[in-house]
Amino acid sequence: MKSLKTLYRFLIFLCVMLLTSCVKDVDFDQSENILPTPTFESNLIFSSLEATNFINDTTQQEVVVLTDTTRLEFINSDFFVDQLTKTNFTFQFTNSLDRSFNIDFVFVNDNNEQRYLAQVEVLEGQPESPTIIQSNFLIEEPDLTLFEEASKLIYRITLPVTTNPLETSNLGVLKLESKATFYFEL
Amino acid sequence: MRVTTICIVLLIYVLAFSQNKEILYDFNDIPQTLSLNPGALVEFDKHFGIPLLSKLHFNFGSSGVSAYDIFRDDSIDINTKIGNAITALSNQDYFTINQQLEIINGGWRKDENTYFSYGIYEEADVILYVPKDLATLVWEGNANYISTPFSLGDINLKAELLSIFHFGVNKNLSKKLTIGARAKIYSSIANVNSTNNSGTFTTRPSRTGDNFYEHTFQSLDGVLQTSGVASLLGDDNSNIKEDIKTLRRRVFLGGNLGLGVDLGFTYQLEDQHILTGSIIDFGAIFHSKDVESYRLSGSYTTEGLDLVFPQLLNADGTTPYWSNLEDEFDDSIKIDTLTATYTTWRSTKLSTSYRYNFGKGNRQECDCLAGNKPYLNAIGLQLFTVFRPKGPQVAATAFYYRRLFDFMNLKATYTVDDFSARNIGLGASFHMGAFNIYITGNNLFELQNISKSQSVSLQFGMNLIFDSND
Repeated sequence: MKSLKTLYRFLIFLCVMLLTSCVKDVDFDQSENILPTPTFESNLIFSSLEATNFINDTTQQEVVVLTDTTRLEFINSDFFVDQLTKTNFTFQFTNSLDRSFNIDFVFVNDNNEQRYLAQVEVLEGQPESPTIIQSNFLIEEPDLTLFEEASKLIYRITLPVTTNPLETSNLGVLKLESKATFYFEL
Repeated sequence: MRVTTICIVLLIYVLAFSQNKEILYDFNDIPQTLSLNPGALVEFDKHFGIPLLSKLHFNFGSSGVSAYDIFRDDSIDINTKIGNAITALSNQDYFTINQQLEIINGGWRKDENTYFSYGIYEEADVILYVPKDLATLVWEGNANYISTPFSLGDINLKAELLSIFHFGVNKNLSKKLTIGARAKIYSSIANVNSTNNSGTFTTRPSRTGDNFYEHTFQSLDGVLQTSGVASLLGDDNSNIKEDIKTLRRRVFLGGNLGLGVDLGFTYQLEDQHILTGSIIDFGAIFHSKDVESYRLSGSYTTEGLDLVFPQLLNADGTTPYWSNLEDEFDDSIKIDTLTATYTTWRSTKLSTSYRYNFGKGNRQECDCLAGNKPYLNAIGLQLFTVFRPKGPQVAATAFYYRRLFDFMNLKATYTVDDFSARNIGLGASFHMGAFNIYITGNNLFELQNISKSQSVSLQFGMNLIFDSND
């Protein structure tokens, strides 16, 4: 009988230990506020164009507008639409051509309807002293929603009227580097 | 919701020294000590565990962080605390869960010097090393880590659910030496592991000067192996009953089979000085059924999309830069699904102990084996090692054992391990006639606020023990 009594006592002691054991000074409701906010840096497009790129093969005259287009399918992906809170595009031009340019970065949807436009003016440079121009475009709401409908980027270079057009013999390049910073809330 | 949250939190954050059962080891009044040392001293003639209640073991551990660190009720934003935890943790830190449930356990004495034991138990064992680089990449992104490589090698995990059928022999070779061996058949119910990965992802300033950065996937080589999982996931879970039937079949030797062995000894150095040692789960499982593995491999570097402004345009008026990039990536970085058989080694455990018995009770005349029956007290040291994917994990324990009454034996332990330097444990075994009930638990200091604890280990069970000497 003594053994039973001791067992009971021990079990009661154990129950008291377990019941008083607890989780103190913590607030698990905080888990509802858990929000990873990663920031990713990613290259975008780049190009390097010489004077010959701006001369029409047939006419041997300077062109008025030069464009190239690429799909950027991530922009309207579910992940971006749901998680992207803002983004910053950086376009950096290094111009060693003796010619100024008006640049349009046109973000369009599948029907080629414009969803965001970034414009940069690039002044003329010299082969020995290129002009460097860096432009940043921060896209936040309310523009972001519209931007996220885009699936293509048109890089359009317009050559303003000049008395000193480019010729094949001109030295130098128009170089573009670009990157994007994406701010997510997961 | 709250309960679910707490459960998830406990699963993820709270922790333990997986597998170490420092209180049960060398606690010879309890038959289950034979599962930790088949060469333990057996002082009874027959035992039979109450089915499903003879041993429930549970422990979990986290070597680097506790729930309290994350969920402390203070004014600091939880995201800051998680960020700090990720920074503080290293890829050597880990979370573990180990759980065992005995289905059947019994034993009988063949003769004075030989004791047989047998049983079936279920075990779940999980170890997940902190994938620090991956966690950093997901939590913070790469923007603050230009030129810092993120390593795929940080992914290291092993999870298994299995049943174990075992039969052991315990033999007194002399009054000084007892040895034991146990043969085991493993039946794997499900297995997932990924332990040998390498390769990096780095964003660094461009070396060609063409663009701002270059993004490089360098020599990716990763494998995730699974068995017993694909068939359960593959049938859309439409028929839970079928899944349960499948699982039940695997418990009873219908899974991927393996073989293993336990070995152990007890040696009496001198009258009161006892040395023990054991090696548990030296064995492997051969996975050939329901295997589905994934292999990631390759290298790829990109600086972005190079727009070349071609004068001759294609039919759509554009060059397919984007799909070219996708194709190049897919050609360079491969994910293959494999069904090749594979072998996993169990996490082998090594234990040793030194024990000093003292304080004779009433039974001074007993001509015992290297046993402790005449002594009421024992103190000693134990060393435990478990071999894990990234190397051995070690725990050291000092203990005091006390035979308080004929029907009640206690053991207190002080353990130092990866989780804590002040882990106090207590175990008690009660014997009323043939009926035995035992309970052991560690980290008693932390019971007052379990959220601070980085490990918890509990064992509980009931047996019938018969001894003709009683």
